[in-house]
Amino acid sequence: MCKQSINMAFCPHYAAERLFAFLATATATVFISSFAAQAQDAGAFHEVETKYIFGNFTVGSSTGIEGEKAFEPETQANFGKGSGRYAVGQTVLEFEYTPTQYMQVTFGPSVSFYDIYNVPGLNNHNTAVWNGFEAEFRSVLIDRNPSPIAVTLSLEPEFHSRDETTGEKVVNYGLEAKLEADAELIKNRLFWGFNLLYEPETTRADLGQWQNESTFGISSALAFQIVPNVVVGADLWYLRHYDGAAFNSFTGDAVYLGPTFYWKIAPKVLMSAAWEAQIAGHQPGVSGALDLADFSQHRARLLLEFEF
Amino acid sequence: MQRLDDLEDLVQVNHLPLRPVRPLKNFWAFTLVGAAVLFASAHTNAQQSASVAISVKDHRFQPSQIRAPANRPISIRVKNLDSAPMEFESNSLRVEKVIAPGSDGVVNVRALAPGRYEFFDDFHQETRGVLVVE
Repeated sequence: MCKQSINMAFCPHYAAERLFAFLATATATVFISSFAAQAQDAGAFHEVETKYIFGNFTVGSSTGIEGEKAFEPETQANFGKGSGRYAVGQTVLEFEYTPTQYMQVTFGPSVSFYDIYNVPGLNNHNTAVWNGFEAEFRSVLIDRNPSPIAVTLSLEPEFHSRDETTGEKVVNYGLEAKLEADAELIKNRLFWGFNLLYEPETTRADLGQWQNESTFGISSALAFQIVPNVVVGADLWYLRHYDGAAFNSFTGDAVYLGPTFYWKIAPKVLMSAAWEAQIAGHQPGVSGALDLADFSQHRARLLLEFEF
Repeated sequence: MQRLDDLEDLVQVNHLPLRPVRPLKNFWAFTLVGAAVLFASAHTNAQQSASVAISVKDHRFQPSQIRAPANRPISIRVKNLDSAPMEFESNSLRVEKVIAPGSDGVVNVRALAPGRYEFFDDFHQETRGVLVVE
């Protein structure tokens, strides 16, 4: 591992990881391009719900089917802070319900896992704890037909009793607001996804004072149904982090890139996964090609859905 | 996300006057307003619906293509003539309904723009049909 103070553009370890991210994404893109060139096979490929086909960092616009209920354990893991050992994850045990043809509600408790050892600026933690509650309200803003692009608004209030990054005891409230858009480039085969993110948070640590922060993000993703019920793709995110709830003071930015995978295993069971590496980033006043203070070096998501 | 460096800074500057913050109140107010806006935007439509009928026999929709007018809510009456249950489902119509053997059910669909909308039996995925809205 290279130390964070070294210019990471020249660090062989990070260069290899960025190369791997590029290769994995390029492979997915080649897959997409080659299959996209083929004629459509209307008989073998059917409609897919787009919500999870982009790997779930970028979320599609589908809001589900009226009356549908599902249990969805969703895990996000973050790895790498430059030096030491850093592996932090959070699993949300979500219940998803679609009350109308335009609206979806999701809520559930979360469990966090921390394996932090010798990371500069962070205390060591090796624990798993119940860590709060999350909910999500999604509503269709623009329907796909006749518009070629479908857009959904998502509001996700969150409460955490441990800091998601450091593992320290805090009181944290956040609201993740997202515009989730997608378009069908080739019917039932090739999809483009686009997300716009604004996430203000407020946190009270042991000192008793509230601190605000915010994250802005924009993403673009491609997903291709390679065989019926299996979708592969690539996802690109740009994230900016600020102190203050309204982009008051810029603290760093990051670009993530990685492959995505979606598999509808059975009519009522699906899996969505993504892995992304930070391929570029910076902190004001700090040399280096990544921002490992505000963001992790790698991040991954795995979601399973069991409809009932 | 709270960084330890920030906490150390806070310790050093905590003599500074701080603006009173009521994050809980603001947070829940914003969340409730947002949720209300979302619910309000969940479209309602009081137009009279158009009725369409379809049946399932030997795991085939009969007819396999049905038609309905655009921009009006649609009621689809589905008769299951098979001896096994079926689930009428469509991603683009955003509906699903389980129908017991030998019975029927009504699926209510929002007003739609002209186009072709696939539907299928989720218990027998090869059983497929199309709603043509024009």
